[in-house]
Amino acid sequence: MKTRLFLLAAALAALVPAAHAQRTLTIGLVAKSQGNPVFQAARVGAEDAAKELGAKHNVRIRIDWRTPNEEDAQKQAEAIEQLVLTGAEGIAVSCSDANKLTDAINRAVRDGVPVATFDSDAPNSRRFVTYGVDDLECGEQTMDELAKVMGGKGIVAVLAGNQNAPNLQKRVQGVREAAKKYPGISIRDVYYHKETPQDAAARVEQVMQANPDITGWAMIGGWPLFTENALKWQPGTVQCVAVDALPAQLNYIRSGHVPVLLAQQCYQWGYRSVEHLVNKIVLKKDPPAVVDVSALIPVTKANVDEFAKNWDKWLPSR
Amino acid sequence: MSRLRALFGFQESGLVLVVLVIGAVLTIFSEPVRRPKFEILPDGTRQRVFTTDASGERVPAFEEKNKFLNAENLTQLAKDTSFVAIMAVGMTMVIIAGGIDLSVGAIYALASVLGATLLNRYGPDGAAAGALGDGSVLAALAACVAVGVACGLANGGLTVALGVHPFIITLGSMAILRGIAFVATDGLSIGRFPPELQNLVLRPIAGLSLVPLFAMAVVTAVGWVYLARLAAGRRVYAVGGNETAAHFSGIKVNRVKLGVFVFSGLTAGFAAVLNIGYYGAASSGDGQGYELNVIAAAVVGGASLSGGKGTALGAVLGALIIQMITSGIVILGMEQKYSQIITGSVVIAAVVFDKFNSWLSRRRLLGAAAKP
Repeated sequence: MKTRLFLLAAALAALVPAAHAQRTLTIGLVAKSQGNPVFQAARVGAEDAAKELGAKHNVRIRIDWRTPNEEDAQKQAEAIEQLVLTGAEGIAVSCSDANKLTDAINRAVRDGVPVATFDSDAPNSRRFVTYGVDDLECGEQTMDELAKVMGGKGIVAVLAGNQNAPNLQKRVQGVREAAKKYPGISIRDVYYHKETPQDAAARVEQVMQANPDITGWAMIGGWPLFTENALKWQPGTVQCVAVDALPAQLNYIRSGHVPVLLAQQCYQWGYRSVEHLVNKIVLKKDPPAVVDVSALIPVTKANVDEFAKNWDKWLPSR
Repeated sequence: MSRLRALFGFQESGLVLVVLVIGAVLTIFSEPVRRPKFEILPDGTRQRVFTTDASGERVPAFEEKNKFLNAENLTQLAKDTSFVAIMAVGMTMVIIAGGIDLSVGAIYALASVLGATLLNRYGPDGAAAGALGDGSVLAALAACVAVGVACGLANGGLTVALGVHPFIITLGSMAILRGIAFVATDGLSIGRFPPELQNLVLRPIAGLSLVPLFAMAVVTAVGWVYLARLAAGRRVYAVGGNETAAHFSGIKVNRVKLGVFVFSGLTAGFAAVLNIGYYGAASSGDGQGYELNVIAAAVVGGASLSGGKGTALGAVLGALIIQMITSGIVILGMEQKYSQIITGSVVIAAVVFDKFNSWLSRRRLLGAAAKP
């Protein structure tokens, strides 16, 4: 009798997990390149959102990270197609080339997979939301901050990364337009480079060797500041304002080489994208607006240490 | 048994076995995937199937499939392979002749942006809309191929005229051609094409985009016929095997070298047509680093970097093996950061397996020859 009761209880216990089996939701995350730490922060944000929102909605959310090693829009398009075929129910992507990714995004949406973009948008695609800075305003703000610290006069070089990236092209446009407000400031040129810290630092060094009269750098991405001693001048002799404020870059604020860093909310790129996708897929809720703008956070000597503490949470722990 | 031996006695049999083994592993170890259900309409397009749930609401229908072994994934695999495979056929010819072409990625980019510029300019929304009538698509396709041929001619011509190793010539042309592509486009991506080209490349056949697969098959067939069935192809092997002996046999060595570079450029131009047709855009950054993938595909496919060895089919199988590994990492849910280690390891394993299979074949042949 006891044996039968035990067996019955065991059978019922085995049924309970089956009856309440948790749904698994796979969200694909396709950033521009693995090597750029801003996208590592986005990944951490996405994973944190997956944990928190998964617990909140009783869903197991899996982030499928499919980012090319180096920037390659064709590989990103292939990753989107593969994610759809392997069962991803939502995709978040930062587009290396909006034109090239538009069709891949549209096909994913046609196949029932909602797509959100972050950082770099594909505005003509059927993505349902985009999260990131307004790139034109980002470029303008970079130039305005630089003009402030330069006293409104000098020769400026613009460091611009991947020449094909639409978001960076918009930022360059913003820099140029803002520069018109300062008749004492002239832009020597816009310098592109492979988006690795070493290539960016080498580019800065080459340009300064050839143009020692440059007195300001508008870095619409802070790539060289991930290396040590990228800025080979005495603090204050050449001014520099850069976008992004990751831990390695903050040292340049402390050393006085860079008066202002404009921090993008790269952790939120991943977090908000997953949040939007979960709202769309699980709660069937659309965002209030297609464009979800995030503000840049100015980091200066006054708040650098306070800001630095955020990175304990925002970057992957080693 | 003898039929089986005959079937697997051909040169690329080892590679075919590798493809089958990888495919079997991916089929067995991939989880089933829940995919939206589609039906094929009479015009070949797909339409989602809907059903009614318990509460009477109209909801999309789903079906379970093997993540690897399903028609959509295999078509995707063929498409992803096609760009590198097509260029690998051309690269194989150059390698067989004892050369190398590092500029294929740059030729691909330049041909793509020139074709894209024409499509954008003369397309319905372009600055010169209507100037070419219905001929804008044909003009763009011709431009892609012409750029490929012209670049190949330049590479081959310089190699032959200057007597410099093609590694140096094509290293230089790689930078020049990509630079030209950048200057021509100001680094911008070119899109907004007339729909005819994409309609052609994306044309659904039984609900699948099979045009890239057909394009790859056509190029492979042309390459195979040229190398295996034509005297001109045998001359390529002769030059790569022993250039001096080929010269003294009366073979016009320089003409052969020029020809293989032209073919390499041609295949890069053809791959560019697929690029702009499938993705609907092009930029000077396209194909960055593809030369290494193409060379890897050719070498995995059996081409010898010292010349005189390789086949068109081998090149395509080499590209397929590399792409199956890349796709397999996604299908099996492996961490992306290990992709280069896994790809490199499996490439080496594939080549070792192929060499072992060749050794076994030679042993069987020697054994058969030794029998009275």
